[in-house]
Amino acid sequence: MWNESIEQKINSVTCPGCGLSCDDLSITFAGEQLLSLENGCEKARSFYETALKSSDPTPIVDGSPASLDQALASCTTRLAQSNSPLFAGLATDVNGMRGILELGDLCGATLDHLNGDAMFRNLRVLQDNGWFTTTFSEVRNRADLVVLIGKQWFDGFPRLVERVLNPQDALFVEAGQRKIVLLGPWSPDSLPEDLASINPLLIPMENESIPDAIALLRSLIADKPVPPTRLGEQTGELLIGLASQLQQANYSVISWSAAEFDVPHAELSILGFVELAKTLNEKCRSAALPLAGTLADITSNQVTTWQLGYPLRTRLQRGYPEHDPILNRWQGLIARGESDLLLWTSSLSPLTPPPDSEIPTIVLGHPGMSFKTPPSVYIPVGIPGIDHHGHWYRSDAVCPLPLSKLRRSKLPSVADIANLLSRQLLTASGVSERGVRC
Amino acid sequence: MLIKLAGATVYDPANNIDGEIRDIYIRDDKIVATPQTGETIHQTYALDGKIVMAGAIDLHTHIGGGKVNIARTMLPEDQRGSARARTELTRSGGGHAAPSTLSAGYRYAEMGYTSCFEPAILPVNARQAHMEMADTPMLDTGGYAMLGNDDLLLQLIAEGAEQQTINDYVGWILKATQCIGIKVVNPGGISAFKFNQRALDVDDLHSHYQISPRDIVRKLSRALNELSVPHPLHVHASNLGVPGNYRSTLATMDAAEGFPIHLTHIQFHSYGTEGDRHFSSAAADIAEAVNSRTNISIDVGQVMFGQTVTVSGDVMAQHANHRHAHPNKWTCMDIECDAGCGVVPFRYRDKNFVNALQWAIGLELFLMVDDPWRIFLTTDHPNGAPFTSYPHLIRLLMERSFRNDLLSQINPDAAAASHLQSLDREYSLYEIAIMTRAAPARILGMTDRGQLGPGAMADITVYHPGGDPEQMFERPMLVFKAGQPIVEEGRISQPVAGKTQVIRPEFDEDIEKRIKPWFDRYQTTAMENFIISDDEMAEGIGSPINIHPCRQSS
Repeated sequence: MWNESIEQKINSVTCPGCGLSCDDLSITFAGEQLLSLENGCEKARSFYETALKSSDPTPIVDGSPASLDQALASCTTRLAQSNSPLFAGLATDVNGMRGILELGDLCGATLDHLNGDAMFRNLRVLQDNGWFTTTFSEVRNRADLVVLIGKQWFDGFPRLVERVLNPQDALFVEAGQRKIVLLGPWSPDSLPEDLASINPLLIPMENESIPDAIALLRSLIADKPVPPTRLGEQTGELLIGLASQLQQANYSVISWSAAEFDVPHAELSILGFVELAKTLNEKCRSAALPLAGTLADITSNQVTTWQLGYPLRTRLQRGYPEHDPILNRWQGLIARGESDLLLWTSSLSPLTPPPDSEIPTIVLGHPGMSFKTPPSVYIPVGIPGIDHHGHWYRSDAVCPLPLSKLRRSKLPSVADIANLLSRQLLTASGVSERGVRC
Repeated sequence: MLIKLAGATVYDPANNIDGEIRDIYIRDDKIVATPQTGETIHQTYALDGKIVMAGAIDLHTHIGGGKVNIARTMLPEDQRGSARARTELTRSGGGHAAPSTLSAGYRYAEMGYTSCFEPAILPVNARQAHMEMADTPMLDTGGYAMLGNDDLLLQLIAEGAEQQTINDYVGWILKATQCIGIKVVNPGGISAFKFNQRALDVDDLHSHYQISPRDIVRKLSRALNELSVPHPLHVHASNLGVPGNYRSTLATMDAAEGFPIHLTHIQFHSYGTEGDRHFSSAAADIAEAVNSRTNISIDVGQVMFGQTVTVSGDVMAQHANHRHAHPNKWTCMDIECDAGCGVVPFRYRDKNFVNALQWAIGLELFLMVDDPWRIFLTTDHPNGAPFTSYPHLIRLLMERSFRNDLLSQINPDAAAASHLQSLDREYSLYEIAIMTRAAPARILGMTDRGQLGPGAMADITVYHPGGDPEQMFERPMLVFKAGQPIVEEGRISQPVAGKTQVIRPEFDEDIEKRIKPWFDRYQTTAMENFIISDDEMAEGIGSPINIHPCRQSS
């Protein structure tokens, strides 16, 4: 059965350590201790070691240990009394998010992901303009020119080089034929070894100059009379060369991680990346590859979008969904005092506790989570891919992958808790007939 | 539990019942024969004068999967103004052209539909499509897996693989993706666009694989026939939307070499190049071809005027059309050496020559194809129009005067260029029941659906007669799903969840020896994680499967 047998060695394990979601991991156990991890990166190792160290702590209510039933009763009361609950964090799997949305509909909640800022830098471009994107296997097999913008993607997606940029086999690109261009705050001296090994072309610049460089590239491709030396002679020459390569490539790819561009109106920079790919497609082939998915931002947003019709940053307070990508930002709702209860869901990492705030807070959290100030209620929940099966979206939002159950666990999943709370709220309000999933 | 539906006027074409007054009995989830005298009937519905049909079946509606979610994300304006508030029984949601899953399920049920099929499931995205459909309540669902642009199949065909190998791969895909049929979209064209080919007609060669759409259609239609899969190859033909494309459509019919094929949203593939504007109706040529070839079935993909969004796996065509986007934004995507998708919002205008003629061409096809068992009522939701326009479409088919009134309001040049005025045919309720119930069930191989005979699933819709057909089909009096009343007077009275309808032909499992190395060498997911198990469908995705039998070998 999907929920039962656990082997000593598990192959083809999907890693929810980042948005790459490598699913070629082999994990061997001795008892419940991790004996070996094949194919995983350091992020994966850290995810599994942290997760497997965490046991099953008891729930906490108002600073004291409590039973699960007591914790649920406390949550039900608080949710029933709240006029404007905020459901944020949302680092969970598909079924966790399904449960959260059912509960949110009953409570009139507003929803946002803990990394909503980074995600909406991309989503606002999609909402205002659309885009032309591609996926990992296409890039791996087809791309003969990949432009990687910024620098943080390298640490954020550790196996991108091995799995996508420099694979052993590719269908349509000969080994050594693929050109990699690094446009961002790189210097030749500090290039990490596995990046240096693929012999990239460096176009060094600070992140602040990137929008200018992209605008210049687009202008060159559109044959506009622009001074290419605006960013310096050397950079200008490199950009002229890149503009020409982009137009000659069989399949070029423009990639970035939006988390890196933490500046006001970063969506305008990203619009430039997207428009570059879109324009190239008038004559040749090109596509964008936004890198995201870490801590389940893509997962929770996908489920929200199909169930509510809107992406995250949607509120259900008036009985139907209303979306506003600016007003419904979780940090703003807390700062403006517009929420009277925070339900913080963070099941993947102990390092993402709720924000310090005056608002009463319920945490459905990773079992290894610790708090400076204990929240009103803490219910430790199972880790998707460790304590229970689940589904998880990788960066490109196309491939929801199955997550394995790696240990026998007493920890309830986020879905379990959300569904119990929904039932208790329905019972409390005298409605018993409503189908929870339909 | 034994329920009696007493005295209704029954339209049940699968059992040759055309408007006869009958009693129908439901025991638990099934329709049963008249029970023995003396047996306790727990509930009787007095339905004198009411009209009863089986629950309606939509065999081609884009209700789940990545491209629909892109449309939802890209178009917040589609949700605004059509919000659906939560009730004590139902969840909130909304949307017009790209509704939320929950709203789509409720709205379909409120219109008397009980089963719907997503026609374009990318194999790598199958899990998402099934998750979305699991969250589409009230309905049984299912889908067709897209093949014919996946690099593995193209390579197999290019290498001259035996038909048996193709058959095994097709059988494996149906099982791994939990689908009930196979669709090919712009055969080879989605892949060719990745190599920067901008058109691929039926006998053009794919620049890398050196095979043609004709080769792909022939191999796949034959495979489904040899695997005894009831639903023929579901074909979105080459050159969608291109003036003159009716020739490609006729060539695609020939490509099947007599094996059954289903040509979908054929309205978009029935265009000629005559007249001053080099855009004309070729509905007569297409209808004649359908009438004379019994291996062909079609659905129409009727256009209705207003705002919608076009969602398609056909990146080649969608990219070519992006300048028509309204509002002006569009998304395309190349996907996993598997296929792709394009999402382009669009507004069909009745005063626009092309849009008005598209509307007329769809209606011409409905009225010129003789056999209602081989033509299906679709708008290719949401590509021609949202599915909520079906009652209006049914009225257009049933009332000539209504049709001609609207014809007089569209672009006059388009009206003049169409044969519509001269077509007298008016569909009967019996024919509507064939198109929307009996025939889709039969062509999908679902012997227990689309009919009201003993043994059938008790999926039943009861209508109030009177008024016009649009009013009648918009708001049924009662809808039963698996024997349970779920809609009363057009409102959800009992939310229920459906199941996923699948087919499981026999194939040689050794095909995995070819497929697994492919995944290991080229894909960024493992074959083991591509496969969706039955347990995962039931316990993880949340929609248990229901396996339909294959055709008996003839």
